Amino acid sequence: MKKLLISLTLLISIAEAYDFNPQMQKYMNDLKTEAKKANPEFKGFDYSRGEKIFTSKHVGKRGKLISCVTCHTSDFSKNGENISTGKVIDPLSPTTNADRFVKVKDVKKWLRRNFKDVYVREGSAQEKGDVVIYIVNKK
Amino acid sequence: MKTLLIIAIVLTGSLMASPNEHRDDNYRSSSYYENERGEYRDRDDRKGYSKVGVAPIRNAFYKIECGSCHFAYQPGLLPEKSWVKLMSNLENHFQTDASLEAEENKRILNYLVYNSAEKFRDYKISRKIDDSIRRDETPIAVSDTRYFKKEHRKLRRDMVEQKEVKSIANCMACHKTADKGSYEERYINIPNYGKYEND
Repeated sequence: MKKLLISLTLLISIAEAYDFNPQMQKYMNDLKTEAKKANPEFKGFDYSRGEKIFTSKHVGKRGKLISCVTCHTSDFSKNGENISTGKVIDPLSPTTNADRFVKVKDVKKWLRRNFKDVYVREGSAQEKGDVVIYIVNKK
Repeated sequence: MKTLLIIAIVLTGSLMASPNEHRDDNYRSSSYYENERGEYRDRDDRKGYSKVGVAPIRNAFYKIECGSCHFAYQPGLLPEKSWVKLMSNLENHFQTDASLEAEENKRILNYLVYNSAEKFRDYKISRKIDDSIRRDETPIAVSDTRYFKKEHRKLRRDMVEQKEVKSIANCMACHKTADKGSYEERYINIPNYGKYEND
C-alpha cells in the first residue's frame, strides 16, 4: 500500500512538472516578498515582463549586443550553445529537462551569472521572478 | 634453447642499464641541481617523466561546475599560483561571470591546488608546462603558457577560427582524447584538416 502511494505521488509530480517543488516554491515566495518590499505596487510576477527581460538585447559583459536568446535560443525544448566556448547548453524547459528549476542553489547561481553577462548587473527580485515565470510557462 | 635464454638475459640486462648509464657524471654528486631559473629540481628530473599527458580528473564536483560552460581542464595543466589567481576572480572569468558561493569556490580551489602541475611532474605535460612558466609570470589561461604556445605554434589561424573549433581553448575539438588527459599527437584530428604533426 505504502509503495503504491509513493509511486502514485511520483506519477502525479511528473504529470505536474510545471509546479515548483517546495524549495523552489519557497524561493519564489521569498522573491515575491522582496519585490513587494521594493515596490508596493507589485502585484505578482508577470510572463510578458519576463519575456521582455529574456529577449531584449543589451551590451553584455563581453561588449557585444546579446540577449538570453543568444545562447539559450527561443525554443526551450532544444539545446542551446554557449557563444564563447561552443559548449552545448541543455534545454531550459523543465518539461523537456527534468533538472531545470529543481535546486534553488542552481537557479540562484545561473540567474546571478547570466544577469551579469547580459545586463552587466544583478537582476532585481522582481526581474528574477518574472524571467523564471516566463521560462517555466513558455509553450 | 640455452642460447635463446642467454640472448634474453643479455637483452634485458642492457635494457635495464640504459637510462642511468648515459647520465652525466657531474649529476651524480648530489640529488638536486639548480635549473636555469634558479630553482632546485630533483636529479631524477633528468630522466624525465614516466607518463604522457596529464593526470585525468577525479573530482565529479569540479567536472560539473567548471565543465558546464567549457572543457574541464585538468588541474595538472596549470601550476598552483595560476589556479589561485584564476579562482580569486571568477566574477570576471574570461569576460564572463562564473562566480561561485564562497564554500564551493574553496572546494574547487582545494582540488585544483592539490592536483596542480607541480604535483604531477611524473606526467609529461604537467612537467613541461610547470617548467615553462617563469617565476615572474602567472598565466591564468593554459593557452598563455610557453609550452602550450610552442606546441601550437604551427597552427594556422583558419584551423582555429573555423566554427568547428571556435577557439584555441577548445581542446576537444582537435584532441579527441583530451577529456582523458591524453593529448598525444596520434589522437589529434583537426576538423576539415585531419592529422597534425609538429615536427
